[in-house]
Amino acid sequence: MLQLHDVRKSYGSKVAVDGISLAVAPGEVLGLLGPNGAGKTTTISMAVGLLEPDSGTIEVGNLGPPTRRSARAQIGVATQMLALYDEMSALENLVFFGRMQGLSGQRLSDRASACLDLVGLSDVARDRVSTFSGGMKRRLNLAVAVVHEPRLILLDEPTVGVDPQSRNAIFERVLELRAEGRAVVYTTHYMEEAQRLCDRIAIVDHGRLLGLDTVAALVRAHGGPGVLVVSSQGADERIATNDPVAALAAIQSERTVDTFRYDPPSLETVFLELTGRQLRD
Amino acid sequence: MRQVLFLAAKDIRLLLRDRPSFFFTFFWPVMMAVFFGTIFSGGGAEDAAIRVAWVDEDASAGSVAFAETLAARGQVVPVPASRSEAEDMVRRGSASAFVVLPAGFGDAQTQRFVTGAPKLQLGTDPSRKADAAMLQGLLLQAGAEGMRASFTDPQSLAEQSRAGLEALDAGGSSFEGADALRTLLLTLPVLGQTLPQDGGAGVAGFEPLVIEDVPVVRARRGPANAFAISFPAGMLWGILGCSASFGISIAVERSRGTLVRLRMAPLAASQILAGKAVACFGTALGMTTLLILLGRFVFGVVPGSWGLLALAVVSSALCFVGIMMLLSVIGRTERAAAGIGWAVLLVLSMIGGGMVPLFLMPSWLRPLTHLSPVKWSILAIEGAIWRGFTLAEMAVPCLVLIGTGAVLFLIGLRAFRWQAEG
Repeated sequence: MLQLHDVRKSYGSKVAVDGISLAVAPGEVLGLLGPNGAGKTTTISMAVGLLEPDSGTIEVGNLGPPTRRSARAQIGVATQMLALYDEMSALENLVFFGRMQGLSGQRLSDRASACLDLVGLSDVARDRVSTFSGGMKRRLNLAVAVVHEPRLILLDEPTVGVDPQSRNAIFERVLELRAEGRAVVYTTHYMEEAQRLCDRIAIVDHGRLLGLDTVAALVRAHGGPGVLVVSSQGADERIATNDPVAALAAIQSERTVDTFRYDPPSLETVFLELTGRQLRD
Repeated sequence: MRQVLFLAAKDIRLLLRDRPSFFFTFFWPVMMAVFFGTIFSGGGAEDAAIRVAWVDEDASAGSVAFAETLAARGQVVPVPASRSEAEDMVRRGSASAFVVLPAGFGDAQTQRFVTGAPKLQLGTDPSRKADAAMLQGLLLQAGAEGMRASFTDPQSLAEQSRAGLEALDAGGSSFEGADALRTLLLTLPVLGQTLPQDGGAGVAGFEPLVIEDVPVVRARRGPANAFAISFPAGMLWGILGCSASFGISIAVERSRGTLVRLRMAPLAASQILAGKAVACFGTALGMTTLLILLGRFVFGVVPGSWGLLALAVVSSALCFVGIMMLLSVIGRTERAAAGIGWAVLLVLSMIGGGMVPLFLMPSWLRPLTHLSPVKWSILAIEGAIWRGFTLAEMAVPCLVLIGTGAVLFLIGLRAFRWQAEG
C-alpha cells in the first residue's frame, strides 16, 4: 500500500533522511521507531505528500506519489498534534473534515456516526471539543483520520498523554483497522505499544533504516542474550545467557538459589543496541 | 467551489463562537462609530501646514500682503484657485478649506473705521471641524497682525484718518457717534507720531477681521451629522479587524495542525486559501451591513447612493482580503502574525487618515498617504455616503482598492507555506 524506495531528503547541509526503503502491505501495522531527530517525521511527511523527497520514489498503492490528489484521498493522518477545531463539536469536526475529503449526504452522516461509535464518543457528539479530556481528543483525532475510510493510515504517537483506558481503546481501534485490511504506519516511543501492535518494526536513526523486520526477528538478530537475575544468600547476580535453564542449573549445583528472574531480550534492547544509549535532544 | 464555501462557513462559525473575536469584529466598530460620532470634534496641531484653496478676488496689495502674512507662518499653504475650483478642491478632499478674499478686502484694511473690518469667506469641509477651527484662529492672527501693523505705521494712520474723514464728510455725519469718530480720526495722525514703533498698548479691542463661514458642500451633499463621518471610519476599522483576524487564523491553523490536515485532503492550496478569503470577505460585508443599517435606521446616516456605497464597501473588503493574505504569509506563527498584522494595519491606518486627520500630517508625509488603502477606502465610502461622488469619481478609489487587493492576494498565494519554517 505504501512503498518508499531509496528516499532522501536534506535541509541544507543536514541530511534528514538518507536512502530509506520500506513497504507497508494492506492489513499490516508497521511500527516506525527512532530517537528524537532520527528522521521519522520527515519520512512520514514525505510519505503523506507534505514534503517532496530530494530523490527516490514514493508510491501509494497503485495511485502514484502522495502529492497526487487521488493518492492523498486514500491517506488518513492522525498527527501527534491534535489537529481539531476546539470551538466545534466532535460531530462538526467529523462532518467538516469528511466534507473536505469529498464525502457528502447520507454517506457523510453514516461515516461520522460510525467514527463516533468507533472511538466511543457518540454520547458527547454535540459537545465542543474544548470540553474534552486529552484522551477523548486523541480518540477523536483518530476518528477524523479515518472518517473517509482511507486505505493507508499514519498514526504519529497517537497515545501521548492519554489514560490507560483511552490508550487501550486506541489499540483496539488500530487492530480493527488492520483487520479491515488497512495499512497502518505507527510511530511511537513506547516499545510495549510497538511490540503489541506492530507486525513489523522499522528502526531509523540519523536518517537511515537500521533494522526492519518482525519483533521476534529483530530480537534474534540484535537483541543479544537475555539476563538471568539470581538472588542467593542476600546478593543478586546478573548473568547474560541465551540458555537460562542451563545457567540456572549450573548455579544451583554450586549454591542455594533463593529467587531468580529471566529478562529475555526485548524490542527496547534492540532499540538501544541499534541507536545507542547516548541522550538525544 | 462547494469545498471553498464549506471552508468559509467553518471559519465564520469559528469566528462566531470565539466571543472576543466576535465582539471585536462586530461590536467594537459599532461602538467606535457611535462614540466618535457623538463626540466628534477633532483635534488640532501646531506644526502641520494646512492646504487651503485661495481665492483672491480683490487682488490688491493688501490682499496679497494678507496671504503672504498667513503663509509666512508656515501653517497654511495657500493654493491659488478660482471660486469654483476652490469648492471642488475641498469637496474632493485635495484642500482642507478655501478662503475667498472678496473685492474691497485690501481697502477695508485701511478704511476699517468707515467700511468696517475686512471680510473674507472661509469654506471648510464639514468633516474637518478641527481644521476649520484652526484655520479661523490663523486667519484672525494674520488679520490682527495686519491691523497692528497699520496702527503702528504713522503713514498708515494718517491715511486712515484722511480716508475716514472724507467718508464722514461725504456721508453727512448724521449718525450717532459721528462726532466721536471724527475726533478719533483727527487724533490718529497724532497717535502715529507718539506710539512706539513696536506697537504697544492702545490698539487692542478692535476687531481685526470678520470671517463669514461658508459651507463647502451643498446641503444635500454634506453629511447629515457627525455619524456620517464616524460610521465610514467604523466600517473601515471593522474591515481592518476582519483582515487581521483571518490573517492570524491561518497562522493559528498552521500552529494547531489543522492546516496540515486540510492539506491532506484532496484540495488545492488555492481552494483552502480561497475559503479563508471568502470568509474574510463575507464577514467584512456582514459587519459593514450591520453598520450601514444601524447608521441608516438609528443614527440617520442616509447614503447619497446605495449602489455606490455597495461598490465602495465591496472594493474595500476585496482590498483587505488581499492584505489578509499577505499578512498570513508574513507572520508564520500565531504571535508573529498577530504582531506584524496589527503593526502593518495600524501604520496603514495612521498614514491613511484612519487615526490622524490627513491635514495634520507633515507635508513630507502626505504623498505617502496615497500608498495606504485606508485613505482610498475612507474616500470611497464617504464619497458614496455624503461627498456626492459620481460613478466616474468613485472609479479611482475603487480601482485602486481592487487592484491593490488583487496584487496582494496573488503575492500572498505565491508566498504561502503550509508549515512554519524552522
